[in-house]
Amino acid sequence: MQPSYTTRNAFIHLFTMCLMCFSHQLYAEVKLPSVDDQFVELKLEDPTRDAGYVVGDILNRKITLTIKKPYQLIDESLPIVGYEHRYKGQVSGIELSAINKKTTVNSEGETHVLDLSYQVFKTGRVAKPAALRAEILRLRNTENVKEVVEYRIPSFSFRISPLSVIGQVKLDQEMYPFIPPLTLDSSNVMFRIKLLAGLLGLALLGLLYILGTHAWLPRMGAPFARAYRDIKKMNESPDGIKQAVSRVHESLNKTAGASLFSNNLDVFLIKKPAFAPAKQEIEQFFGLSHQVFFEDSSHKLHHEKPKAWLLSLCKTLRNCERGLVPDIAQGDNT
Amino acid sequence: MSDRQLTDWRQHALALESEVNKVVVGQSNPIRLITTAIFARGHVLLEGDVGVGKTTLLRAIARGVGGAYQRIEGTIDLMPNDLVYHTYLGEDGKPHVSPGPILEAGEDLSIFFFNEINRARPQVHSLLLRVMAERTLTAFNKEHHFPHMLVFADRNQVEKEETFDIPSAARDRFMMEIPIVVPKDHDIMESLVFDTRFHNVDKLVSGVPENILEYKELNAFSALLQNSVTTSPALRQYALELWQATKSPLDYGVKVSGVDMNRLVLSGASPRGMGMLLRAARVNAWLNNRDAVLPDDIHAVFHETIAHRVVFSPVYEMRRTEIAREMLDGIINVIAAP
Repeated sequence: MQPSYTTRNAFIHLFTMCLMCFSHQLYAEVKLPSVDDQFVELKLEDPTRDAGYVVGDILNRKITLTIKKPYQLIDESLPIVGYEHRYKGQVSGIELSAINKKTTVNSEGETHVLDLSYQVFKTGRVAKPAALRAEILRLRNTENVKEVVEYRIPSFSFRISPLSVIGQVKLDQEMYPFIPPLTLDSSNVMFRIKLLAGLLGLALLGLLYILGTHAWLPRMGAPFARAYRDIKKMNESPDGIKQAVSRVHESLNKTAGASLFSNNLDVFLIKKPAFAPAKQEIEQFFGLSHQVFFEDSSHKLHHEKPKAWLLSLCKTLRNCERGLVPDIAQGDNT
Repeated sequence: MSDRQLTDWRQHALALESEVNKVVVGQSNPIRLITTAIFARGHVLLEGDVGVGKTTLLRAIARGVGGAYQRIEGTIDLMPNDLVYHTYLGEDGKPHVSPGPILEAGEDLSIFFFNEINRARPQVHSLLLRVMAERTLTAFNKEHHFPHMLVFADRNQVEKEETFDIPSAARDRFMMEIPIVVPKDHDIMESLVFDTRFHNVDKLVSGVPENILEYKELNAFSALLQNSVTTSPALRQYALELWQATKSPLDYGVKVSGVDMNRLVLSGASPRGMGMLLRAARVNAWLNNRDAVLPDDIHAVFHETIAHRVVFSPVYEMRRTEIAREMLDGIINVIAAP
């Protein structure tokens, strides 16, 4: 009597599974020689902390493995996602949850970048030691197909903490429970902090602007810098020239802290020696002011282009107030 | 013609200054101010300690100005009639009346020097008020005129015994109150003490040439000068603001240390005082060869023409000199022109 088709298939499946388990058992127990270190370079990026993990946490490990010719990685030796690792017959509780491999090939060999994610499926009443297992990779000699060697990626030890401490813990017997701080959602707080910091920054800028006599840059709002800008907008008419001369007077008075006249110019220059190089120019300015405001208005001004001259004077005095030495001989066109 | 007159007279004025400066050393600023007062036709009050050269200075000036010079010493028993006449028994045994110092020279009187005016009684001040203001005096049933007369008086502020405060009305008649202080220059101080030239005042003063100025022409020239030197609208505005500030300095932010500014000023400068300020400023402009008054000209005479006119609360009168100087400095500092 022939076995039924269903029975035969079931038998074949059972046989195949037994064969696979048996072959895997055989395969795992085969001890291969280690590869010579000169053919392999390893760079490991382990998790930054080694404690405070609880059940459900994911630990990422990045392995950069450079294998030189003639060896080549056997992809089948890579760890399998979901495989339950056992240690001394006990399930370790650390499971590989994802693997990502990128390979770059060059003339000298190949570089594999392995991103491994392990998830913790283990907890306890107290903190317990655990490890990301040492992965053993196999390499094939491409020049001698029969030669297969292995390379061991070191393990990474860490501690698993309980979710909560229950009951009394004997610290002298048990490890200290490295429980990580409770992570609250701080995004709202951070947003508010950033917003308030921004407002504070704006307020400080405003304060600086006010303290800086309504100027953004140091000395930008100093009297002669402002006078220069104002006079540029004035016209060349007699009234405009009067305004411009008044504006320079205003700046001189502000700088001196009192009304400045030609008869107290020397006192001013002693108090503000930065303006001493421009003494002759200031005296000329007083001459112009006397002409414009106090002397017979029918007389022609000594300066052919008084506005241009006043602008030049303001530039000179602006440099003085900025602590620069004006180049008066060349008209100070800086 | 007037330009030439202005130039000629300026040369004479500067010559007078120069000659007096040779005799009275280290007092160039008071000498300039007195010259200014002479050409502005204003009376002068000199203020200073004893022995600083006030009388020597005035004698030297009087010699240079020309005309008759009369002098009287202020004392507590001096009466107004002592200025007008004095009586005596003549050789014939009969009483005689002679003109006093004011009347003696008649219209030729050019400088009347009242020494230590604050020792004289208020009655004397009162007489002087009229003479200074009107340059006339009624005596012996006749009105006497002194068209060329300038009164120079002096006082020292240190001594208070047997003295009388000069009332503000009398002070206001003086165009200037000029402080005379000992020069600080070491060489000048040394020469004043050791140079025998300065020990004989009569001989020293005689070194000033006589009649450098035509004193009889001074009034006419002064009028010409005042008409020739102009004041612009900007300057007038400036002068008016200065005037306002003497009345209410606090409104302009002027403060004097240790003084309650709300109580300090009882009365600011008078219109007459401001008029004198501008007269003096015009003369200063002319002396500096200008035909228009500048703020600098006002500053040159501001303290001397205004300080003695401002009336302070009695509590501050004892510190008048220092308070007035600080207040007027503050006014000059805060008021801008233009």
